[in-house]
Amino acid sequence: MTVSTTVLDELRGIVGRRNYTHDPAILETYRYSLSHTAIHLGPFFDVYTPRGAAVVLPGTTEEVQEIVRLCNRERVHYKASSTFWSAQGYPSQDDTVILDMRRMDRILDIDERNLFAVVEPGVIAATLQAETMKVGLNTHIAGVGCSASILAGATSFFGSGPSNLYGGHAFDNLMAMEWVTPTGDLVRTGSAGAGLGWFSGEGPGPSMRGVARGFLGSKGSMGVYTKCSVKLFGWPGPRAALPVTGTVPAYRVDLGPQFRSYTLAFPSWTAWADATQLIWEAGIGYIAHRQFNMFGRDLKFAMVKILTDPDGTLEDLAPLLEQADVQAATADMTRDFQIVVAAQTMRDMEWQEAALAEILEQTGGWKVQAMLAPDIHDWSLLYLVRLGHKNLNLVFGGSYDGAFGLLGPIDFGASLADDAAAFKLEWEKKGAIVAAGGDAMMGPIGGQGGGGSGLWENFTCFDSHDRASTEGTLEFFTAVSRDFMAKRGLGVGMENWNAAARGSDGYATPKAERDAMHLATPQPDVWRYQARIREALNPNDLGDAYYETLEDA
Amino acid sequence: MALIDYAAEADRCSACSGCKWVPYDQVKSWRFAKNCPSVSYFNFNSHSARGRYALTRGLVRDEIEITEGVEEVAFSCLTCGACDVSCKVCRYNLEPGEMVRELKTYVVEQGHENAVLRATVDTVEQTGNPFGKPRAARGDWAAGLDVPRLPAERAKVLFFAGCMYSYDEQLQEVARQSVRILRAAGVDIGILGSREMCCGGRWAGAGHKAEFERMAESNLKAWRAAGVEEIVTSCSDCFHAIARLYPPLGSAFTVTHTVDLLGQLAAAGSLPWRSEVPMTVTWHDPCHLGRQGEPYVPWEGEEKKVLNQVVTFDPPKPRGNGAKGVYDQPRDLLRAIPGVELVEMERIRESSWCCGAGGGCREAMPEYSAWTAGERIEEAVATGADALVTACGWCERNFLDSTDATGEQIAVVDILALVERALAAPTAPESMTPAGEGTAR
Repeated sequence: MTVSTTVLDELRGIVGRRNYTHDPAILETYRYSLSHTAIHLGPFFDVYTPRGAAVVLPGTTEEVQEIVRLCNRERVHYKASSTFWSAQGYPSQDDTVILDMRRMDRILDIDERNLFAVVEPGVIAATLQAETMKVGLNTHIAGVGCSASILAGATSFFGSGPSNLYGGHAFDNLMAMEWVTPTGDLVRTGSAGAGLGWFSGEGPGPSMRGVARGFLGSKGSMGVYTKCSVKLFGWPGPRAALPVTGTVPAYRVDLGPQFRSYTLAFPSWTAWADATQLIWEAGIGYIAHRQFNMFGRDLKFAMVKILTDPDGTLEDLAPLLEQADVQAATADMTRDFQIVVAAQTMRDMEWQEAALAEILEQTGGWKVQAMLAPDIHDWSLLYLVRLGHKNLNLVFGGSYDGAFGLLGPIDFGASLADDAAAFKLEWEKKGAIVAAGGDAMMGPIGGQGGGGSGLWENFTCFDSHDRASTEGTLEFFTAVSRDFMAKRGLGVGMENWNAAARGSDGYATPKAERDAMHLATPQPDVWRYQARIREALNPNDLGDAYYETLEDA
Repeated sequence: MALIDYAAEADRCSACSGCKWVPYDQVKSWRFAKNCPSVSYFNFNSHSARGRYALTRGLVRDEIEITEGVEEVAFSCLTCGACDVSCKVCRYNLEPGEMVRELKTYVVEQGHENAVLRATVDTVEQTGNPFGKPRAARGDWAAGLDVPRLPAERAKVLFFAGCMYSYDEQLQEVARQSVRILRAAGVDIGILGSREMCCGGRWAGAGHKAEFERMAESNLKAWRAAGVEEIVTSCSDCFHAIARLYPPLGSAFTVTHTVDLLGQLAAAGSLPWRSEVPMTVTWHDPCHLGRQGEPYVPWEGEEKKVLNQVVTFDPPKPRGNGAKGVYDQPRDLLRAIPGVELVEMERIRESSWCCGAGGGCREAMPEYSAWTAGERIEEAVATGADALVTACGWCERNFLDSTDATGEQIAVVDILALVERALAAPTAPESMTPAGEGTAR
């Protein structure tokens, strides 16, 4: 089916000439490469998501409603995206109308007393954080980084990250929503639905969070979210813009004695896991993540040296790896994670420091001294607080994706860490992926607010411009699923999380394949239930397979 | 380089959208967090560096044609380099700043010229300036100044006035102030007058590479004939062209921006301050003085992978990420002027927001260019400063036009006006002259 000129004219009429295009060249800039990080799918060399039929830039909820109603009337697929990051935010079938939500980018309210903010889709974490800090509050920033849409993380995906420790997951923080349903009706959920403000997601007013989001978020496939409120958290730092210093790109921040950024290391994975448990029990720490290991166990300290040197380049990497001090620091932080300890008062800070010291004593852990050099400390602190360098995961060859991937009890992940690293190390020897030392696992040590679980993701970096590298990476991912995850009964690896929604050609996976995958999951009834929801709320099925369903009954 | 040379980068651009924002660490508010005027105004992905990479990919593969949309994308790029800074916070093997220029050149060379720019460049080639003013009148701004005219007379240092300071009646005073201050400080300075040609930098940024090279050759020939050893200019646009674009054409001339030279003189105690200038000012970093004002470092080499798939270069490639621009010198100079209080905008140094005049946009897309200037004026007003101070004729012209149109109550002043006033004998209090002449706001 091709979208008719009449429909395109109507779309243009809704948003205005300036906010509409069907120029094929401009549409080309709304495609996404499956050759690099497709979170988590592929990679498939030289494959792109389908070109849309038109792009519209709505400016109001009313315009969104009109677009959605028109699409329903004409049975035209549509997909909304806020920042167009990862394949999930792009069409997976031809002739899709793309809603670029960029113009709806206002922070509508920051309620200091009730600790929430109301935002539109285009608000990214960096801007919300900058504004909330001015009133002593902070927002959770998902692991994808502060470039991501706050609303998208909360309504449409998962939102795990370093600040889970204080902020839980993004979806935990979702409160009231303004939702243009798949057929164009307007629903306000939670307290907003009762006309009482935006302070609650679960009432008074309709509690629709599970229905609207589905499992892991609906990823632009069940209508369009136009506003939402998210929880905010205390910020013990200055009520002002972050006092950033340093020369680009080695920015850093000194937040005084009530903020310390540590890299903690341990003699064994058991000790590592015990320490995280004790940190949760003690209730200390503000941010915690195994962050810089994303560069790889063997490369991380050399990369920190490069990134904290304004003149550093990747050409420095090989010589740095030969330096004795770099080798010593690298060895010192083999099993590590980063933690930011922060406090409102020095008394609280001293207590947290004392508790941390006791935890290290109990577990045999230590603070990595090389990471406490002032420039490195202040760089690391800024990195973790703002999460503004997350695209460094693409620094080597332009692409990465996560293999292995477990979300669960921290001991469980830790017990598999050595095996996962050894498995990857063998594949690194084949040459398709960056030789990083096998263990490039990273993730939050507080997978839930305050702790309770961890997330493990073994970063695998490759070159999206290189067919052999990209296809070799795909072979590795296939092997992870087949020879590592399946053999241990670990379920679907992160490398295949989105394989049910989009196939190797960039289009939606055929239904039979999807059904087979969903049937093989531990709880297929989840997808059956979602099928019923879609049938009721999205009768014309104008989203895509990212809202996952199983219709076998 | 040709567009095809950016094919690998186009594949390796991860479309993260970092090119649309100031470096995230530098985000200080919701209001002033964006960095790219083009995507901020037009809003489509295509108008950002990530979009331009996608267009590059499509064009070199013959998967798309140059449509009206592509022309708009190409010609709306101010070549301000903000995308390049932000991208390189996390990427060490992409050159978006070079790519966006090459895309524009490619569009022009494929015959898709912007009619206004074509006419303007023709005018420059005919008259030596984009305003169509007589070539013979180029040195008239110096009438009455006791300054040697090269090549008939000799001077060690050439003051290169540039088109805006040569012809714009409101801004000519900046050129005169430059000469007066430098000569008073003992700099052996001369001018070329009617033998000076437009530096051409703006037209290189507008995609007219061949014409730019002819303009550059004309200047290089005149400088060699005049026995020039060094060049000083007060225009950041000219500074960038001579410092960064001329060396690949074989130029060995060194160029210094006046603020840099005056900063050195002030530090050496060679600027005898005699008066207070009681003003609160904010400094606008011109793109071509700041992030694009880094020293030119030639590089020729090839890609080399290490550790299997880490893309590096052999020999090591200079970063060129805006770190070494001319940022501190004007600020130090302002702080040295008695009475001046410097307050900063949110987007400064490598994160500075463009004035909107670059890349031919002032000529080709005046409404968009004016909007871009207005955004900066609004940011300057938010500081509470009395004046927006800068050191580029094109920035000043765009800002002055903006304040004229909007009535914003902030003066637009060249830094030399403050310097000359502080060097002069004390007089009765008077209002500051915006950018040289005119009325204070």
